[in-house]
Amino acid sequence: MNERPRILVVDDEPQLTRVLRTGLKSRGYDVRAAADGLSGFETFTDWHPDLVITDLAMPEMDGLELCRRVRAVSPVPIIVLSAKGEEKTKVEALDLGADDYITKPFGIDELLARVRASLRRAATAMTPEPESTVLAAGDFHIDLETRHVTVAGREVHLTPKEFDLLVYFVKHSGKVLTHRTLLAAIWGGNYVEQNEYLRVFVGNLRKKLEPDPSSPRYILTEPWIGYRFNS
Amino acid sequence: MSALLRYNRAVADRSWSDKRLGYLVSFLCTAAVTALLIPFREQINSTTTALAYLLVVLFIALFWGSGPALVASVAGVLCFNFFFLPPFYTLSIAHSENWIALVAFFTTALAVGQLSAREKRRAEEAERGEREIERLYQELQTAFQRASQAEALKQSERLKSALLDAVTHDLRTPLASIKASITTLIDEARAPEFALDKESRFEMLQVIDEESDRLNRFISGLIDLARIDAGELQLRRQWGTIDEIISTALARAQPLTQNHDVEVKIEEELPAVRVDERAVSEVVYTLVDNAAKYSPPGKKISIRASLFEGMIRMAVEDHGEGVPVGLRERVFDKFFRATRDGDVRTRRPSGTGMGLAIAKGIVEAHNGRIWIESATDGQGTRVVFLLPIGDEEKSVSSVA
Repeated sequence: MNERPRILVVDDEPQLTRVLRTGLKSRGYDVRAAADGLSGFETFTDWHPDLVITDLAMPEMDGLELCRRVRAVSPVPIIVLSAKGEEKTKVEALDLGADDYITKPFGIDELLARVRASLRRAATAMTPEPESTVLAAGDFHIDLETRHVTVAGREVHLTPKEFDLLVYFVKHSGKVLTHRTLLAAIWGGNYVEQNEYLRVFVGNLRKKLEPDPSSPRYILTEPWIGYRFNS
Repeated sequence: MSALLRYNRAVADRSWSDKRLGYLVSFLCTAAVTALLIPFREQINSTTTALAYLLVVLFIALFWGSGPALVASVAGVLCFNFFFLPPFYTLSIAHSENWIALVAFFTTALAVGQLSAREKRRAEEAERGEREIERLYQELQTAFQRASQAEALKQSERLKSALLDAVTHDLRTPLASIKASITTLIDEARAPEFALDKESRFEMLQVIDEESDRLNRFISGLIDLARIDAGELQLRRQWGTIDEIISTALARAQPLTQNHDVEVKIEEELPAVRVDERAVSEVVYTLVDNAAKYSPPGKKISIRASLFEGMIRMAVEDHGEGVPVGLRERVFDKFFRATRDGDVRTRRPSGTGMGLAIAKGIVEAHNGRIWIESATDGQGTRVVFLLPIGDEEKSVSSVA
């Protein structure tokens, strides 16, 4: 990535886009801003940004619709800016394919960290793994063919569903995964309301993987939303 | 259910004590009629006597029903026979035609008694039914009332929580910009390699400055609204001129209206007014601010002041999209925004939903009135308010 990464900021609050533009530019990003979903999507299709940061409540086209439209044409990472009280909409946005969220008011360092993580994840997803059947991420080493898993060199035995869940987590490491997304991916569309399945399996996985299951460092809980895997 | 049973039992009890009284009255009446008629036994014929007894039966049947009526009939027959059909003071009858008269009397008395008693029963039943319906109706009505009260309460709670959401959102929005600016500056101080240029640094400080003002304005608005709601708006009435009030407001609004064509027409020789000048100027400012916000640049904003029925009439008119007739009252509700809540689509930023509510509070505190009408050419908005001159206490504070 020689070019400066491009970030599109969509928010109807001009003062905030002013600040984000300056803050992100100082970190070497190329930034454009839009004041509503509609012009945001126009800029998106013309300019092809590497990352989209969008507010949820906006005139013309709201953040949810923007997520839906962007996801329909591109896997580009999306970070949602949400205000307190928009929890439901936030989860909807994540279900629609947004990668991460940040709650207003936030510090720029927090946003920058999310931006970096999202861009990194997008970059690794872009480079196709050459015929590899091995997933290696941080402390994790997973052989997809032999279903052999080691964590920080320690061998772990997993049930088939636990294995599937771990693989999904590792493949989407760093991204906020809603309960719904995980249930649909591992158990199928009929199980998206069965949060207790997830709780049980995540509990088991933590027992087997985490050095201290009571304060997990790999599988982090995003309260009321889902989980985030941290390799 | 048990209430119904109790009710029926009460009715039965009452009718039983009624009936006993009925039997007693039957005897008494029959005796009375007998006593009354005996002295005239020679002058009146037996038909008249029979009719008199019949009257008693009818009377008893109407008030006490069929049982007492039957008793009255039998007593009547006996008395009729004993006292009035010769030979007197025996139960035997001399003339055979008197047998027919007696049987006819007895049959008629029975029929009259039964018929009138049945009629009475029907009337009673109808009355009872009516009472029952009345009672059910009352019960239903209280139930409805209770339900609608609960609904109203729920609605007002919903409204309150919606208001709270709106308020916290408006408080948090400037705070988000301030926090982002400040952390950008902190970030820079911590990592000099990402130093901002002078211009960007200034911009961050500007945002902080502007957004703190915005927060402060919003909070002042909240306090004004709370005062108005509590009826505690303190007016500092002073003698002043409309000219001055309008020019103060326009000077303040100048940064907002520089792209509009502002036209002011003040009728000559308007009387001085005794109002809270700052508050009224705030009203004018709010209206001009709205006019500038909701009409395209370059359009005319006209401000007029005149005398109308002994009051000052002021109007601010723009040539924007206008306010739909259905929303013209609601825009004065606190936190209501036509652009957000009223389906009025616009790209222009909406306000806080407090300006017009405060304006209305100020105008009404002066015993005035404020409303919205269509602009002269049917396009745009005209907000009009009437303000009493405030000279009720002229004698007390005469112009110095």
